[in-house]
Amino acid sequence: MDVEAVKMLAAGLAMGLGALGPGIGIGILGYGAMQAIGRNPEASGSITTNMILSIAFCEAIGIYALIVAIILAMVA
Amino acid sequence: MPKKGLLGLSFPVSIGIVVIFLVLAAINFVSGSLGKSLFGNVGLPSWLSVSPPHLELPSETVLHIFGFPITNTIIGAWLTIIVLVGFTYAVSSRLRLIPRRWQALLEFMLGALLSFCQSVAGEKKGRTFFPIIATIFLFVVFNAWLSLLPGFGSIIVHTAEGEVPLLRGANTDVNLPLALAAVSFVFVEYFGIKSLGLRYLTKFLNVGRFIGSIAQLFKGRFKAGLGGLFSGIIDIFVGVLETLSELIRIVSFTFRLFGVSTAGEILILVGIFLGIRGLIEFFYGLEIIFGLVQAVVFSGLTLVFVTVATAGHGAEKESHGATHGG
Repeated sequence: MDVEAVKMLAAGLAMGLGALGPGIGIGILGYGAMQAIGRNPEASGSITTNMILSIAFCEAIGIYALIVAIILAMVA
Repeated sequence: MPKKGLLGLSFPVSIGIVVIFLVLAAINFVSGSLGKSLFGNVGLPSWLSVSPPHLELPSETVLHIFGFPITNTIIGAWLTIIVLVGFTYAVSSRLRLIPRRWQALLEFMLGALLSFCQSVAGEKKGRTFFPIIATIFLFVVFNAWLSLLPGFGSIIVHTAEGEVPLLRGANTDVNLPLALAAVSFVFVEYFGIKSLGLRYLTKFLNVGRFIGSIAQLFKGRFKAGLGGLFSGIIDIFVGVLETLSELIRIVSFTFRLFGVSTAGEILILVGIFLGIRGLIEFFYGLEIIFGLVQAVVFSGLTLVFVTVATAGHGAEKESHGATHGG
């Protein structure tokens, strides 16, 4: 196959498949946070802070996939 | 009686803002690439059409001073430094007992950072770690926020490489997150060795039990010796994993900060080119939150790692309690 075509395909696959995991992970985090806030609305400030911190870690994994895709599409 | 209105603004003002927003979104939609394919060439003036964004990952050189290439991200970083240093100098040169506005703002920022450090690391250690953690936090967050001002990416200069933006957010150059990650790594190792002595390095090179078990084999106690041998090999393996994890931490810090900043910049540029400005306004606001969150994550993770490194084995339960509570 053409090198350019495979590069584009690889970039798309890298980002697409790489976003599955973080998406599900962030959803699970949000689910846990909503449940916790529902049980204990008083602690919602602390729960929200911790949830945002955890979401930042989860999102970083998706950003690694994005960097691979950008490098494939533009630099390589 | 409170004035009726929307978010503190009176009704005419808020309606005016919504109308201006819709007009700008419509103009961008028509002149962007989506609108061009739908409506054809409507005949808008040439300064309204957006050229395809020229995305470059490495930062572009703007000028050369004494042979050093000065990139646009260096100019962005120096702008941040001038803003931070100038603000704090101007405020702290005229301190009053009852603070006015800017002094209250500075006191709030530093007080919040100090209480964050102390809630994770404890009172005394929090005060020791506060300078570097607060510097990393303020530098990263002001880099991220100042790159949202108008002028970043739009002021174009003509250099030998072509048309290059004069200013670019400093977090989008991979060298700056790499430098911050290296600083954080050296900071963690230095405080680990300083507080625990050279025994801190036995976390990475854990041959104590292995050598002890060989000594036991020589003394004739075979069962205990063999058991100790296996535990010793596992200890050495865990030590290698710890070393790798420390080094991977540098890479992970770098790419987390660089990736979020570059992804945000590319998203906004491509979105404006496509002409979906109405949607991009939302992401522009999200950039403010992302910059703050990434600064908290970077400085908070450094703080947690240095707390764990200086805790040793006995006090680990106490530091775990602090990290869970903080």
